[in-house]
Amino acid sequence: MTGNSTQLAGPFEQDVPALRSMRSIYLRAIGTRLTTGVPVFLLVMLAGTSLSNFMPGSAAQTILGPYATRAQIAVFNAMYGYNKPLLVRYALWLWALVHGNLGSSIYNGQSEVALLAARAPVTFEIALVTMFVSLLVAIPLALFTAMRPGGVTDSGLRAISSFLLSIPSFVAVVFFGFVFALTLKWLPATGWVAFPDDPLQNLRYVALPVICLAINQVAYFYRVSRGEFAATLQEDFVLVARSKGLPIRYILLRHVLRPSQTHVLTVFGLSLSYLLGGSFIVENYFAVPGLGWQMVYAVEAHDLPTVQGILCVTVVLFILIFMLVDIGNALIDPRVSVS
Amino acid sequence: MAVGEPETQVLGTAPMALGTAGSGPGGRRRGGWLGSGTPTVWFSFGFLGLLIAAVVLAQWIPDLISPELQFGAFHQNPALSVSGLLGTDPLGRSILSEVIYGGRVSLTIAFCATAISLAIGVTSGLLAGYYRGVLERVVDLYANTLASVPPLLWLLALVAATGASLFTMTVALGVLGTGMYARITKAAAISGSDRDFVLAARALGASDFRILVREILPNLVPVFTAIVPAMMAGLIVTEGSLSFLGYGIPPPTPSWGGMLASTSDVMQQFPYMLIGPIMAIVLTVYALNTLGDHLAARISLREGQL
Repeated sequence: MTGNSTQLAGPFEQDVPALRSMRSIYLRAIGTRLTTGVPVFLLVMLAGTSLSNFMPGSAAQTILGPYATRAQIAVFNAMYGYNKPLLVRYALWLWALVHGNLGSSIYNGQSEVALLAARAPVTFEIALVTMFVSLLVAIPLALFTAMRPGGVTDSGLRAISSFLLSIPSFVAVVFFGFVFALTLKWLPATGWVAFPDDPLQNLRYVALPVICLAINQVAYFYRVSRGEFAATLQEDFVLVARSKGLPIRYILLRHVLRPSQTHVLTVFGLSLSYLLGGSFIVENYFAVPGLGWQMVYAVEAHDLPTVQGILCVTVVLFILIFMLVDIGNALIDPRVSVS
Repeated sequence: MAVGEPETQVLGTAPMALGTAGSGPGGRRRGGWLGSGTPTVWFSFGFLGLLIAAVVLAQWIPDLISPELQFGAFHQNPALSVSGLLGTDPLGRSILSEVIYGGRVSLTIAFCATAISLAIGVTSGLLAGYYRGVLERVVDLYANTLASVPPLLWLLALVAATGASLFTMTVALGVLGTGMYARITKAAAISGSDRDFVLAARALGASDFRILVREILPNLVPVFTAIVPAMMAGLIVTEGSLSFLGYGIPPPTPSWGGMLASTSDVMQQFPYMLIGPIMAIVLTVYALNTLGDHLAARISLREGQL
C-alpha cells in the first residue's frame, strides 16, 4: 500500500502530537484518576468505618452478643476501639493503612492483610478467566454479525443475548449447578483446588463459577461491541476503504476493530472491577473460598474489619483498573488524550 | 413546533439532543409509545401487565390459596389447578401462590426504591447541572463513590452492621440508585440550560425554580421512561441476590431469591420446584429489559428525526 492510502486508512495516523509523548499520556491518565480516585477512596472507607455506627445499640454489644459482660465489652473496645468517635476511628484506620496494616478479623483474630491475600487470588482467577472467555466468545461473534446486520444470525444472537442478560447469577448457579454438577456430574459442585496445587483439578473447579458468571458477560460484551462495530462501519473511512475494494474481513480487522475498542474497554473495566470485588453469589453457592465467600462469612459474624478490608481492596482495584482503562483508551485512540 | 401536537414536546425530545429539539420539522408521532413493537416487546408488555395484575389482585384470584396456608400434600407435582399449577413445596404450600406473593414484595421494593432514587437523584442532578460549580463537584464525587463499589457489596456491608430488614434494604437500594439518576439528570440539565426556550424563559424573568421544573424537567421524562425499567430490573436482581444469600426479605415472607435458595437444597429430588421461581425472575427481568431497550430505541429514533 502507498503512503497516501495509509493516511486514509484510519483516523489515527493523522494525530502526531499525542504520539510524540506516550509518557505524558500515562502521566495524565494516572493524574486524573488519582485526583478523582483518592477522594472516592477516602469516602468509601469513611463509609466503611462508619458501619459500626449503624449498629443497633452499642457496636461491641451487638458483635459480642447479648450475653457479653461489661468486662468483656471493655476489653473488646480496648482492642478494637468501637467506643471511640467515628473520625478518631477513621484516622486510626488510615494511620494503620499507611503502615500496611488493615487490622485483624474479629472472628478469628487473623491479620486482615493475610486473610485478603489468601482469598483474593481465588476471586481474581475466576474473574480473569471469566473475562477472557467472555471476550473470546463475544468479540468474534460481534464482528461476524456487525458485518451482516439484519441477518438471521444477527437477530438470533440479539435475541439470545437479551435472554442471557436476563439470567441473574443466582438463577445461573442453581440452574448450571443442577445441570452440570447434579445431573450430568461433569463438574464438582462445591469446593476449590488452588492452581499451584493441581492445575488440572483447578480448571475443573473453576469451570462452573466461570460458566455462571460468563453467560451475563458474554451477552453484555456482545451487545456493546456489536453496537460499536456497527457504528464504526458507518464511518467515512470505512466507506473509503470499501470503495478501494479492500476485502470486508481486512477492513474489519484493520479499520474497525481498533477504533471500536474504547467503549468496549470501559465496559470491560467496569465488569472486571465488579467481578474482582467478589462474585458473592457464585462463590457462596459453590463454596469457593474467595473474597465474596469471605464477605458473606464476615456479614454473618459482624466481622467489620474484614468488611472494611474487602471494601478497601474493591475500591483500590476499581481505581487502578480505570487508570489502566484510561491509558488503554489513550493508546488505542490518541485523540482521547488531546481533547 | 406544529400546532396541535403538544405531546411531542414532552415525549419527542431526548435531552441528549437538546440543542436542536423542539424546532425541527420532525417529531411526527408514530402510533403511540409502544409503536412498531416486535413480538418480544408485546410479550414483555403483556407479561408485565399480567404480573402486576396478579400481584395487586392476589387475594381475589379465585382458588389461589395464601402462601401462609397449606394447600396440599408435601412435594406435590404440578397439576391442573390454580394453586397446584407449579406444585407444592416441602410444607405443602402452593408454589404459584408463593411466586405471586413473592412478586408482590419484589415489585413493591423495586417501586419504592425507584421512587427514592428518582426523588433524590433528579433533584441533586438538576441542581448540579443548572448551578454547576461546587455543587456539581459534590454530586460527581457522590455518584463516583457509589459507583466504585458493586451495589451488592454496599448492601452486604450495611447488613453486616444493621442486620437484614425490609425497610433498610429498600432505603439502601433507593439510595444506591441515586448516583446513576443524578448523573443522567445532570448531563441533561447541563445541555438543557442553554437551549433557546430556557433563555427565553429567563428573559421573561422566570425564576430558577420555574425554569428547572417547568422548562428543563419535562424534557427528562422520555429518558427516564427508558432507563427506569432497566434500573428496576437491576433492583429486582440485587434484591433477589440478597434474599438468595439469606440477607434480604426475612424467611416467612415468600421471595423469589429465598425460594430459589431453599429449593436448591432439594432440587435433585424435586426439580419441578425450580420452574416457578426461575420463570418468575427471568421473565420479569427479561420483560423489563426489553421494554427499556424498546423505549430507548424509540427515543433515539425520534432524536434522529429532529
